[in-house]
Amino acid sequence: MTKIKEKTVSILVNNKPDVLARIAGVFSLRSFNIESISANVTKDPGKSKIILTTKGNQDTLMTIEKQINNLVDIIQVSDLTKIPSIRREMILIRLKVSTANQNSIIQVVEKLHGRVLSKEEGYWIVEVSGDVDEIDAILARFDKLGMDDFTRTGTVALEQIA
Amino acid sequence: MKKETIGADIVVKILLEEGVEAIFGYPGANSLPLNDRLMDSPIKHYLMRHEQAAAHAADGFARATGKVGVCMSTSGPGATNLVTGIATAFMDSTPIVALTAQVNTSLLGQDAFQETDIIGITMPIVKHSFQVKKIENLASSLKQAFHIAQTGRPGPVVVDLPRDVLARSCECPNGDYDAVDMPDKEVDDPEQLEKIARALNKSERPVVILGGGVKLGHATGEIKALVEKAKIPFVTTMMGIGSVSAGNGYDLGFIGTHGYELANRMVHDSDFILAVGTRFSDRSTSVVAEFAPMATIAQIDIDPTSIGKIIHVDLPYIGDIKETVTALLPLVEPKERAQWHEKIKKEKGIVCENNPDNGCGRAGRMISAIQGIMPDDAIAVADVGLNQIWTVRTWRTHSPRNLITSGGMGTMGFSLPAAIGAKVGMPDRGVVVISGDGGFYMNIQELATISYYNIPIKIVVINNAHLGMIRQMQDLFFQSRFTTCELGSGVDLIAVARGFGIEGRRVAVDEDPQEGILEMSRACGPYLLEVVVDPEHYVYPIIPPGRSNVEMIFGKGE
Repeated sequence: MTKIKEKTVSILVNNKPDVLARIAGVFSLRSFNIESISANVTKDPGKSKIILTTKGNQDTLMTIEKQINNLVDIIQVSDLTKIPSIRREMILIRLKVSTANQNSIIQVVEKLHGRVLSKEEGYWIVEVSGDVDEIDAILARFDKLGMDDFTRTGTVALEQIA
Repeated sequence: MKKETIGADIVVKILLEEGVEAIFGYPGANSLPLNDRLMDSPIKHYLMRHEQAAAHAADGFARATGKVGVCMSTSGPGATNLVTGIATAFMDSTPIVALTAQVNTSLLGQDAFQETDIIGITMPIVKHSFQVKKIENLASSLKQAFHIAQTGRPGPVVVDLPRDVLARSCECPNGDYDAVDMPDKEVDDPEQLEKIARALNKSERPVVILGGGVKLGHATGEIKALVEKAKIPFVTTMMGIGSVSAGNGYDLGFIGTHGYELANRMVHDSDFILAVGTRFSDRSTSVVAEFAPMATIAQIDIDPTSIGKIIHVDLPYIGDIKETVTALLPLVEPKERAQWHEKIKKEKGIVCENNPDNGCGRAGRMISAIQGIMPDDAIAVADVGLNQIWTVRTWRTHSPRNLITSGGMGTMGFSLPAAIGAKVGMPDRGVVVISGDGGFYMNIQELATISYYNIPIKIVVINNAHLGMIRQMQDLFFQSRFTTCELGSGVDLIAVARGFGIEGRRVAVDEDPQEGILEMSRACGPYLLEVVVDPEHYVYPIIPPGRSNVEMIFGKGE
């Protein structure tokens, strides 16, 4: 057994309705979970980019990458864990706010260069983003400050031009 | 009055451009616009008696001819009935295009009458699929479908055709379409080939493993030149049988669960393996950790996903097999390797002594006798089970496409409809079905198709009144507790055949079946020969589940 690894890939595809299902099918065939996925149309409206993060042993990950590459509507698969890239994630967090924690929340949000997006009836929604390896720590921090619920974008990433 | 051009005309136009001469299908309300326009074309539509048979016939056509096979169904149940056939083609990498009619685009997703999401259902078993929602995309989707089905590692492609797209009048009366732009295939660095050649030249105990990809890649001549120049013994997988003409001295047989002991042993003892066009299926490799423990493995395949999926490969090479082997040939040096050949010769003698009649007994001798009355280029289409193993162990392959069987999927009921496709594709060649009684029952309705079109194929049903291989496994591995394996001998198959308008005769393998075989050889039309075999007549050797390739057993209680 090889080590469990996390991998983020950027997949450039033809912008067709069933592409995502075909990619998902490759994962389900091997009983692999997709940890996170985000998709957007590119500058060329005929193409989409999918940023996908998964975990598993290296051999299976390699097989999955090859199988995705083999799908007809896939143009390119880049392993962003192997090339210099920026990998970020954004979270929206709803917090239960009282006079007791209000100042701490403001401090933490400012420190993380986040924003408070709404303030209503004792609940605030804040937006923060961070490098993928910081996100869990950020969530843990807000959890202590009265986190009620949250939504994560999943990893979004872009390769750097070396 | 000149008919207006509709979507169905575009389909016919592309089919003709692709050289399609025959379609195997079954109509329904939603496919009718296409059935109607096909009527005016030179393409012959064979009306099968079940859509599963249509898919197998297209598959058999493709396997026998090397061209793309085409099947067609209506929406809903027609389309879902194709599924087993599509999966069978997928597992053995056969190029077929399956045209499925679909409900009108305006009804999609509404659970309309005979609507089913065939694109979703077939997604894991197709190379690719298209649902054509706009008539403007019809021609290019079909063109791509044919291209995808037969390039790279071949496979089935589904094209789902909503009724309104087929019936709508077309703005482009000539069915013009944009040129299809498909990316170039991946090819590896030539330096890697030099490494493979060096390892091969250095090796003392090399073996070549040939998979189904050698035939699919039309590389049989190149492979023959390679093994002959380098004097390397070769084995095949079950799908690779016949890749290189048998009997030239280098052929050790096929490997795996039901393969040749010699082949399995020599692969096990080898120090270098050149695997060509094989995906190392579990039926070939058994216990992966114990497969060829001493060998450096080089693998050539056009499909990157087949490399390193199951077996660790030291020297992978992605590329077209024909081109790759051609490039490899000048780099490979002839080498005597007297010790290795001596060892093989010695083992061969021992193996033959251990397993008379190739482990197939009287059934095997009977299959040989059948081959004896057929022309040299006759095609055998084996079903699945004991009959299949008896056939693949016995039938002498004189050309790469004269033994057809469902290897990866192991689809019972494949042989009868696949033989229809093979005979339609190769009308000048003799075609013989070798089936068990179980598989024969599964698509028995195709006797009506054979009779209606008077397709002159020979049908041999080896009847042991049981699911023979199930019985063998229960006997060997389940303490002879026989369950759900007896089919009984209460059915008069000859009467059934006559009822379908097909002549036939029953013989017993223990008595002299020769007379029946001769009568079959004289029949001009289709003919059914029922061969009664004792249910305890098994096939050996066999590898018990969970054991490695060199742990074959030769009888009960071993």
